[in-house]
Amino acid sequence: MKKVTKEVLKSNAEKLMFEMSDEDLDLLVNEFGVIQEQMSLIGEIEGVDETTPMTFPFDVTSTFLREDVASEPLDRELALRNAKDVVDGQIRLPKVVK
Amino acid sequence: MNYRNLSITELHNLLLEDKVTPLELVKEAIKLAKEDDNNAFEYICDEEALKKVESLDSSKKNNLFYGIPVVVKDNFSTKDIPTTASSNILNGYVPIFSAEVVERLEAQGAIVIAKSTLDELAMGGTGTSGHKGTTFNPWDKSKTRLVGGSSCGSAASVAKGIVPFALGSDTGDSVRKPASYAGLVGFKPTWGRISRYGLFPFATSLDHVAYFTRNVSDAAISLNVLAGHDDKDFSSSFKEVPDYSKHLTDSIKGKKIGIIKGVVNSMSDKDIIAVFNKTAEGLKEKGAIVEEVEIDEKLLKAIFPTYVIISCAESTSNNANLDGIKFGARVEGDSFEEVMTNTRTKGFSRLIKRRFVIGAYSLLRENADELFIRAQKCRRLIVDAFNKAFESYDALIAPAAPSVAPEFAHKSDALDNEYLIADNYMAYGNMGGYPSITLPIGFKDKLPFGINLTAKPFDEVNLLNIANAVESVTGLKDLVAEDR
Repeated sequence: MKKVTKEVLKSNAEKLMFEMSDEDLDLLVNEFGVIQEQMSLIGEIEGVDETTPMTFPFDVTSTFLREDVASEPLDRELALRNAKDVVDGQIRLPKVVK
Repeated sequence: MNYRNLSITELHNLLLEDKVTPLELVKEAIKLAKEDDNNAFEYICDEEALKKVESLDSSKKNNLFYGIPVVVKDNFSTKDIPTTASSNILNGYVPIFSAEVVERLEAQGAIVIAKSTLDELAMGGTGTSGHKGTTFNPWDKSKTRLVGGSSCGSAASVAKGIVPFALGSDTGDSVRKPASYAGLVGFKPTWGRISRYGLFPFATSLDHVAYFTRNVSDAAISLNVLAGHDDKDFSSSFKEVPDYSKHLTDSIKGKKIGIIKGVVNSMSDKDIIAVFNKTAEGLKEKGAIVEEVEIDEKLLKAIFPTYVIISCAESTSNNANLDGIKFGARVEGDSFEEVMTNTRTKGFSRLIKRRFVIGAYSLLRENADELFIRAQKCRRLIVDAFNKAFESYDALIAPAAPSVAPEFAHKSDALDNEYLIADNYMAYGNMGGYPSITLPIGFKDKLPFGINLTAKPFDEVNLLNIANAVESVTGLKDLVAEDR
């Protein structure tokens, strides 16, 4: 298995849009060491790589169409109630063009 | 009068006989919640609850949940009541709708008196990682032991006798493990049996609504209220809902029960094993056929790493919406990207960030074959092995945990068999979507421990009956911390 480096993990954190301290990245490198050892147990299981991945516990058969009736799902005021900065019915963010 | 160890049915009968009013019950529960010293609550809804009591429709007083105070884990949306999932990133968030399960309980007349603490975003098993700090085990007066997580506050509030019912969620064992540490019934019905609409998703393919009660009959009563299709949840099943309490019996003659041998073999605590074996003997005396079942040890050891990879990977996308813009504790910046990054940097704890990075790394194209996809493949092998066992057995059983509630300072060896198997095997119930229940079977050093029973999907009637038989064998029900 590939060696997990601080740089790779830092770049992952950036993609996830948060910053991590150096101390936490070191901790995470160590945690990956354990995960990789645990995952190597899976690699030893016969036939694992020939198996089809399982994405849900069992087939879900909940396929249906709702009645074609127009409805107002969400009032605008309610939809915006939890946004911190609202102006004229819209959420305000820093300007893109400065 | 002391209501603390009464069941839902007993409280209901007192209400029907006018020996107590909903207002008295709710006020008493709120008083106990305010006196709580285990850090069980995020928010006590005293004003909201009292208003709801006033507006109760007395024509519904025959409903078993009418006037019954309940607690809801703080990762379920509750309309007009702050909901944070014990994460700073959701400080100040007040949902505009309630989760389907909360609506169903309230439609029956149940009164939500508090939102309970959890491991941040339900991603943990110790009850120590929420933004309000550690939740303590009510059975341990020295406050040195965990109650387990992630549904820590819900477990503590039922164990303390504040309410007879609390909602939780269970992605790996987040209700069934705390139930063992807190002397409770912790029940996770089949995936799809209960609507998840309004439950904050952690790992969608593993998340279940689950709950705590103090006896099996209350667990059956509660499922009658919570089960059933919901158009708002596309994983919700259309399967017919039987009357679980009507079918409840402790007659298990001829039922085949399998002891998961590998779990017991991985354990070192001989006292717990002895009580477990005695319970199994009791089931035999009631006419069940109890045998050991062999599940490949390699698969048992693979359950935990498989769970870690899948749950962390799914959690990264499920929590991508927490950016502080539409809702949540926004932190300002010079661009919208900076707003999102600052919000997430400040809002998530160090532990949660590490979990997310584990998930994201596992999903990278260059790593997925060895991590995420391999975990999904292994999940199928694990579920296939248990499905095969369920062809021959009505239920599989094993101790729910290898020990009583551990001390906070306790450290496990992450590669040890006891940790990998006995401490973490119950996630197989989430991988296969099986109904799974934990209930108490004994005490060690005045601390409770439990058994776990799991059955094939949608076989809750059978599972509850076998659990009911366990309860009649042990005589352990309606336990409240401090009573012993």
